[in-house]
Amino acid sequence: MSDPTAIDAFYLPAWLAVGMETTVQRFGPAHDSMELRLPVVTPNDLQRWIEALRQARAERLVQRSTASILRSLDRVTTRFLDPRDLARRSAIAALERAGRFSAPMVERALDDAFAPLARGGLRKWLVSELGSASALDRPSSVGGALRAAHGPEWMLQVYAGNVPTVSIWPLLIAPLLKSALLAKTSSQEPILAPLLARTIAEVDPEIGECLAVVWWKGGAAELDRAALADAQAVLAFGGDVAMASIARQAPHGTPLVLHGPKLSIGYIGRHALTRGALPKLAARAALDVALYDQQGCLSPHAYYVERRGAVSPVDFAAALGEALESVARTLPRREPTATESAAIQMERAQARFSAGAADDRARASTGAGASRGGVFASRGGTHWTVVCENGARFEPGPAHRSVRVHAIESPEEFERAIAPDARYVEALALEEAGPRRAALAARFAAIGLPRIAAVGALQRPSPLSTHGGVRRLLPFVTWTTVESAKAPAARPPRPAKSPAKSPAKAPASRSSASGSRRRSR
Amino acid sequence: MRGGTRAPDLHERIATAAWGCAAGSSADEFPAASLFQFQAKRIPPYAAYLEYLGVDAAHMVDWHNIPLVPASAFKSHDLSAAPPEVDGRPGSPGVVFETSGTTVSRPGRVRLGDTRLYEASLLRSFERHLLPDGARLRAVVFGPSRDEAPRSSLWFMVDRVVREFAPDPDTAPRVMRDGEPRWDLADEALARAEAAREPLLLLGTTLFFMAYFERLATLGRSFVLPAGSRAMDTGGAKGLRAEFAREAVASAFEHSLGIPATHLVNEYGMAELGSQFYDDALLAHQEGRAPKAGKQIPPWVRTRVLDPETMEEVADGERGLLVHYDLANLEIPLAIQTEDIGSRTGDRLHLEGRLLGSEPRGCSLTFERFLAEKPA
Repeated sequence: MSDPTAIDAFYLPAWLAVGMETTVQRFGPAHDSMELRLPVVTPNDLQRWIEALRQARAERLVQRSTASILRSLDRVTTRFLDPRDLARRSAIAALERAGRFSAPMVERALDDAFAPLARGGLRKWLVSELGSASALDRPSSVGGALRAAHGPEWMLQVYAGNVPTVSIWPLLIAPLLKSALLAKTSSQEPILAPLLARTIAEVDPEIGECLAVVWWKGGAAELDRAALADAQAVLAFGGDVAMASIARQAPHGTPLVLHGPKLSIGYIGRHALTRGALPKLAARAALDVALYDQQGCLSPHAYYVERRGAVSPVDFAAALGEALESVARTLPRREPTATESAAIQMERAQARFSAGAADDRARASTGAGASRGGVFASRGGTHWTVVCENGARFEPGPAHRSVRVHAIESPEEFERAIAPDARYVEALALEEAGPRRAALAARFAAIGLPRIAAVGALQRPSPLSTHGGVRRLLPFVTWTTVESAKAPAARPPRPAKSPAKSPAKAPASRSSASGSRRRSR
Repeated sequence: MRGGTRAPDLHERIATAAWGCAAGSSADEFPAASLFQFQAKRIPPYAAYLEYLGVDAAHMVDWHNIPLVPASAFKSHDLSAAPPEVDGRPGSPGVVFETSGTTVSRPGRVRLGDTRLYEASLLRSFERHLLPDGARLRAVVFGPSRDEAPRSSLWFMVDRVVREFAPDPDTAPRVMRDGEPRWDLADEALARAEAAREPLLLLGTTLFFMAYFERLATLGRSFVLPAGSRAMDTGGAKGLRAEFAREAVASAFEHSLGIPATHLVNEYGMAELGSQFYDDALLAHQEGRAPKAGKQIPPWVRTRVLDPETMEEVADGERGLLVHYDLANLEIPLAIQTEDIGSRTGDRLHLEGRLLGSEPRGCSLTFERFLAEKPA
């Protein structure tokens, strides 16, 4: 980053970048745009790069021990968590200038992405899915059987630009699985993924030889075709049209993990609604709403709040508004575009109109004297909005810190509203006191919600958990099972004597056939 | 009290208001108060809303203070003064339009029991901007017939102007049939007009025209329509696809049909408004002057531009969120808040399209597609 006016928004191994044509594009807010240097990518380049990456992987990555790869990735993790390190400082400076998030928000995002990987976190992640940290090195004892794991030769990854750190864990999946990587960034956020790849290359040039992170225009048919023609595995984020196009073009049998449009929601049980608990509960909910200004799939758009608690859903909404006001002091919101603000104003106006002109149906269901809902909103701008509504329904809001609070009677009411659209939900933040929380979690798991988290923890998923309902590594792994030297005698099966022979229950025993196609949406 | 349960007669006003005075603000120049008072009594959810706001309609004098109705409210409430039997079922009186284009899931309903004022508005604007020379031309509709799209305000409008101004309203080809493009009908009508040296009036959505031009280009075909031929194109399917750059549309009309930019007029309208806004390319050509930027705000409409953050009115020429006050909205609220961004200079409205080529935003997104695929 010696030249502050033009940032390399791509990463290619030095020998691939030789003679490559680049172009400079302006990026970021009009008053403070920056120049990004991007490679001019042709279908031929992609084919050549893919071939070179595969070769580099065969020569330099495949025989590496997982332990040595983990050591390097641990060092990368440490660098991005170290406030004095150039990698972290460059990331914060560039992402702040890109104008979509404030510096405190970017710092928070880096911490939330890298902290769970530090202090052995990467190794734990690997073990949690593969059952053994050496499964990719040699046949290892995995859930009682002897198994060797294989990552794909190379992966294609397609990133979205909504949240700055959305590319971090996916990118690390490739070296963790000893796979080469071709990644396509989003035009909304083409900065962090190349910076991460470059930092990996600085720490471990051998891994660096197996990574390429570039941008090309989404929907450029020939380039997409060239990237997908021989893809061994695909992990992609994007809108429905882009996801459908990838699913159509990927070779048959290629494992696909496609993260389409999703959002998150919250549920507050009545026992959690006490006067004493309210301020902290509201503050945790406000943090989930404020982080990344609701641009991510882990951002809550609505809270479903039970009536008959010591404090009412309207009280919760008011407290959430106050908490959003105060969280803005430490995590300022990015200024929305005129169109985004107009959408928030429409949401507010609609809520006010509905509150005033409650239609006959609403009146009948809430009864005389019941709250007609309403709006709590920041003054003098759209900084935050809490819309109060009677009854449950599922509908995305206009984001940028605008959220709906639905007063509900029962979990059944919530389930009726959510179940038909459960595939669009990434996570549920669930708050309830006592044993009822576990009971509610079991009910909501049954409608297929992929993640149930604590309020305030939505934006800090664990790498050990799932994303979009699937594990992070396993969909891309194939297995060799090494059976014992003795052929089993041909006789009717008898009950197993030793527990070692019983089927393993560890998640690592879930072998994923290479032909499986997973769409997490 | 003034106003009351009888609809004010605005027909005369719309039929005779002088063009170019849409900036005028006095009650005389813009008599919205009596219309508002009528609506405050006759549109039940609006009446309840006004009561909730504590607004006393009977004493409303300044139209600037008329409470706005968000366009999305047509999706949640029955915002019409029309009697309930106007329900859109076959044989029912009046018309029922469906709204679209905002990011709320269900389409809204616009029920009109009496379309005379609406028709007066649309005919006057259309005639001024498409037929300033008094021409009466055979029409080709690049879209469906009214029977095929009974819930569309656009095809109602197109049908109405064809009936009013075209010499052959019943035989004017409708290029969309049973939901399918019938390009052969367009080919035939255009070829006939070319051979007979008879100018045409084309009406349709920009997207549909562009699809036709793409097909002509694939076939290596084009027409040179006789001088005086003209076209009205309109947004259509807003938001679902990147809108076309205006220059690209104009050059496609020129190359494919021989219709010059002076004879291509873009229209902007929405089901929640009885009035439309037009480019003045053809009018300017007729008057022998350069076209003015933006679209004409009809003299019976006022458009205000508000800062989308503060909802305070911005200065002339500055961009913001558009709200309209339309005297042609007789049975539906006249004051409508939109999500559109643009600016106003005098009586000219400048609309901003959505970001061209903006990428969908991955795992969070705007959800327009999500909503588009949900059943209504």
